[in-house]
Amino acid sequence: MNEESSVPFTEFWAWLQALPISEHIGFTWWFPLLESIHVLAIGLVVGTILMVDLRLLGLAALRYPASRVTRELVPWTWLGFVVAFITGFGLFMVGATRYVENPAFQIKFMLLPLAAFNMAWFQFRTMRTISSWDDANVPPTTAKLAGATSLLLWIGVLLAGRWTGHLL
Amino acid sequence: MKDAIAYALAESQAQELMEYLLRTVPGLPPIIQTFHIVGICIVVGSIGMINLRFLGIAVPSQNITEMLNRLMPWMWWALLVNALSGLVFVIARPLRYFYNPVFPYKLAFLIPAVALAFLVYRLNKSESKYWESSSIRLRYGQFIATISLVLWVGVIIAGRWIAYWEYLPFFYE
Repeated sequence: MNEESSVPFTEFWAWLQALPISEHIGFTWWFPLLESIHVLAIGLVVGTILMVDLRLLGLAALRYPASRVTRELVPWTWLGFVVAFITGFGLFMVGATRYVENPAFQIKFMLLPLAAFNMAWFQFRTMRTISSWDDANVPPTTAKLAGATSLLLWIGVLLAGRWTGHLL
Repeated sequence: MKDAIAYALAESQAQELMEYLLRTVPGLPPIIQTFHIVGICIVVGSIGMINLRFLGIAVPSQNITEMLNRLMPWMWWALLVNALSGLVFVIARPLRYFYNPVFPYKLAFLIPAVALAFLVYRLNKSESKYWESSSIRLRYGQFIATISLVLWVGVIIAGRWIAYWEYLPFFYE
């Protein structure tokens, strides 16, 4: 097989992977440490998003206005996301050239921007009308759709992320 | 006792079946592990956030009693899913888990963590607003919440390290 890699920036991934720190992470207890913190952070990200999604679907926490549930949980989502991103990057460095070719990893990084787009869309479009349905037990279809989409995308991210490790 | 259970499992038909399914059904291991991870997310979102609320760090407008009533059922279901999805792998490879140096640590964190969660839940069930009825009780609640947070972090870290014990010389040296 003399097939060239279809993934762009091949040299950059190779450079990243060859850094001393990448090798250090890969061969020491740093790898399991980063990975366990990654899982903890994922718990925070998806645990809080799940609650917001269920509220948007009108399935849980109906006694609280949707805007307040969102406002109080989003900082924790961000905290988890930042930690997950940093630790995830550390794990990625160890085998960057293999990860970018890994189909599960590629799917994960297609789903993540979709989840972000869904959140941004909801934030900038649907939230503008929130005062009219903030306390409603049955949120409008657009909010429900955002909640359901988010739920599916994030479970997809988890599955693709976990699957990545099985294809190395 | 441990040896007897481990080897009985290892030679059982259940082991053969689980091992066969995990090996032959495409994607079955990551799918079952994803159930396990979703369960972890629900645990963090329920007991994790309740503990942070006890400590006054998160969701200030939500009330402790109400959170316990609303979120704990989610946690019990998540724990059931986690137990079952975890058991699949233990049954498929019993010797790997029974003789793993990290696995006992996970259980040593998990058992008291579940016991504390159950205690907090039961007392709240037995008397409404139990944890908010006096400042002393709230203090106890905060003390338990701190220990509970440490234990659950321990459960999650130890759980992940089961697969990596060779990287962690302090567990076997």
